Amino acid sequence: MTRRSFLKNSFWIILLGMGAYPLYEFVVSKRIHPPKEVRIHKHLLPGQYIGYPKFYLFETKNGPIAVSRKCTHLGCTVNYEPNLKMFICPCHQSRFMWNGTYISGPADGKNLARFPVKVLKNNEGYVVFVPRGA
Amino acid sequence: MDIKKIPWGELATSALIVSVVSGIIVAYQYEVSEPFISTVAIDGLLPFGRFFRALHFYSSQFFVVFIFIHTLVEIKKRDIRTYPPWRWFVLTMTIPAAVFALFTGYVLRYDATGRSAGAIAEHLIAKVPLIGHILDRFIIAIPNEGLNRVYLFHIILTILLWVLGTWYHTKRPIVTKNTLNFVAILAIITAIIFSAPMDEPGLNVTLIKGPWFFLAVQELLRYIPPIFAGIIYPITPVVILAFLPRFKDQISVWLFLYMWLISYIVCTLIMWLS
Repeated sequence: MTRRSFLKNSFWIILLGMGAYPLYEFVVSKRIHPPKEVRIHKHLLPGQYIGYPKFYLFETKNGPIAVSRKCTHLGCTVNYEPNLKMFICPCHQSRFMWNGTYISGPADGKNLARFPVKVLKNNEGYVVFVPRGA
Repeated sequence: MDIKKIPWGELATSALIVSVVSGIIVAYQYEVSEPFISTVAIDGLLPFGRFFRALHFYSSQFFVVFIFIHTLVEIKKRDIRTYPPWRWFVLTMTIPAAVFALFTGYVLRYDATGRSAGAIAEHLIAKVPLIGHILDRFIIAIPNEGLNRVYLFHIILTILLWVLGTWYHTKRPIVTKNTLNFVAILAIITAIIFSAPMDEPGLNVTLIKGPWFFLAVQELLRYIPPIFAGIIYPITPVVILAFLPRFKDQISVWLFLYMWLISYIVCTLIMWLS
């Protein structure tokens, strides 16, 4: 490679980089979204639960637990099996206990996430904070 | 009938044309912000919606099947080593592009299968070393962007496939009337008889079977780490095919590719029958 062609190629590579950088920054940047608040106007007794597209809310003696339905293997939506009291992933058959604890399958020891829950005054229900991207 | 004499490439282009036209029609009523609801509305409420979506679905399936057969038949017919390597490389890239375009179609309907397919694809792409996260942001990024980028890629890939398959590959943008008519009639009849698949909402199923061309990968993902089952295994034959003219020992390469194909068919059958 001659000096002239080296300089010419370098010029084009730098120019390409200068063009690619703004594109990269524009596409890769995430707009900030606040967590989504899901209001549940229903009072549950310990042992009762309610299912939503993104989570299941269980009432326990120690307070409510919102368990994410996003499988920790590859992100499929897990389904709750009330008879077995466990979540089963329909894609690759990972299994989790009702409280999200890993039991078996390719999720490889990773428990389901939990979302923050606030109990509304006078036991009027709950607010579950679902993070964006969950 | 001699399978080698059938113009598979032209059939594929014709199917792509039918797919594009029917896709444009479906797009008039499809809403990317409400993918599932709008797809259900297309199927259930709008006049002829079920037919147009089925036409788009089946013509797209035909396109991918024809392009597979076209590749296999043409590779057997001619000596690949005489092909300019760069041109061959670009053409082989149309195969994963076609599969991905079809795949994004599954995701866009956003029923249980579509949602799972999107989530799996996103997690697999993110597992590509170094550039996984960037790739995900460019192509999928469903949790933050909804289906905007998937829809964008669905359209971009279709345009790219048409450009590469016609202007770049055959130097002519259109096909013969007879072939186009044949594929159009075939797709129309199929769409009249069969509806495009759609999962019912709220089903509490314990097993979702993904798109037919990814069943083998789905089966392997149950047992093997995602980087191997979801990335290396399906990409290997594409890479080998892309560099096929450069291999001196063509027989060993072919043996490997056939073994891979057999393993893929076996895994597909296991998942399909489960």
